[in-house]
Amino acid sequence: MPYKVLAFATSPRRHGNSETLLDWVLAGMAQEPDFATEKVALDEVTVNPCRGCNACEVLNRCVQRDDMDILHDKIVEADCMIFASPIYCLGICAEGKALIDRAQVFRSRKYVLKLPVVPPERKGKRLGIFISAAGQNWDTVFDGAIMSVKCFFHVTEIADTDILYLLVRGVDKAGEVETHPTAREEARATARKAVERIREMNR
Amino acid sequence: MEPVTVLGISGSPHRHGNTETLLDAFLDGSREAGGVVDKVILRDLEYALCRGCNACHKTGACVIEDALIPLYDRILATDVVALASPIYTMGITAEMKGFVDRAQYLWAQKYILKTRYYPGEHIRRHKGLFISTAGTGWENVFSSAFPIMTAFFDIVGFEYYDNVIAKDMDRWEGIRNHPTALSEAREKGRKAVGEILRLRGAAGPSPPGKPAQTR
Repeated sequence: MPYKVLAFATSPRRHGNSETLLDWVLAGMAQEPDFATEKVALDEVTVNPCRGCNACEVLNRCVQRDDMDILHDKIVEADCMIFASPIYCLGICAEGKALIDRAQVFRSRKYVLKLPVVPPERKGKRLGIFISAAGQNWDTVFDGAIMSVKCFFHVTEIADTDILYLLVRGVDKAGEVETHPTAREEARATARKAVERIREMNR
Repeated sequence: MEPVTVLGISGSPHRHGNTETLLDAFLDGSREAGGVVDKVILRDLEYALCRGCNACHKTGACVIEDALIPLYDRILATDVVALASPIYTMGITAEMKGFVDRAQYLWAQKYILKTRYYPGEHIRRHKGLFISTAGTGWENVFSSAFPIMTAFFDIVGFEYYDNVIAKDMDRWEGIRNHPTALSEAREKGRKAVGEILRLRGAAGPSPPGKPAQTR
């Protein structure tokens, strides 16, 4: 069985900077014979915002029926999860935040119901990658986004130490990342590192 | 003198929860100080998310014509705006983020087209507050929300005046059991309106044409 890589392109703009970075990373990983990649563009699926009803704290599932039903299982099965988002107003885009908030069902499972999110033998064997592009060059431009993305990974059993970051500043216009001096090489390096880490974790 | 207008915007998906209750206390205090108060529930509005098309960078206008455009018009004509969102997964809710992201056309007017400009006096007389509650007691639980609020209030020409925040809701079992949060919120409502009245008294009435000056 190849390692499963599940990637979320959360930007409302298709094939923009964050998704291009994602595509580069996925291309690098897909070259490896033991890796199978899948990209989900949130633009093409329906993931409604969390209603905050807290029913998942009792039901162990979400009361909403939408594409999260399918994504839920894919999230559990993935060996590597990639979350790609642009930075809007110093945070992830609203579409991406909706997906993260819907991970509440995992949080309820893990911390309230105290049930396993993944089988015990797969803990510590899942890698997360956060990919983001921001228009601004500020040092802190990704700080807020990282906090929420980390939560998303934590509740899906990916530890802090098992998260890689590919963060590119100063790209705003569509396609601008293509002319960035180092972004493509950074993406390749991220893919190489991810492949190495996942093999190492599962050895 | 024109009354001080106060607009609370609730971004929680459920009604009358901890965050909206805290917002209500803030609005009560504002009313006590003479503010004319209104509340908008984002959940009740039909609005789309920013598409990132950047058309506004050229035109200054949003291509999406829905309930948020009149809401932004209202915000620009209001003295005190309180954005209220609970913390979900270490950030504001998707509803609130969806609303904030749509301010991009005002950002474009201010920073790209340079057709929007807020004089210092305008900013001082417009107070923005962030109202929030969080289930956990973690020290940094609001940290990712603050920069978003900083960006938002900057775009709409408001001073980011204060936070009305209470954490550890799970431990307190709800905002109503929190020893100080609701009374502090009420006090901050009185203070925000009082401060604007004081500024008006000190510097004369606000000039006509409340919305941000454009040049």
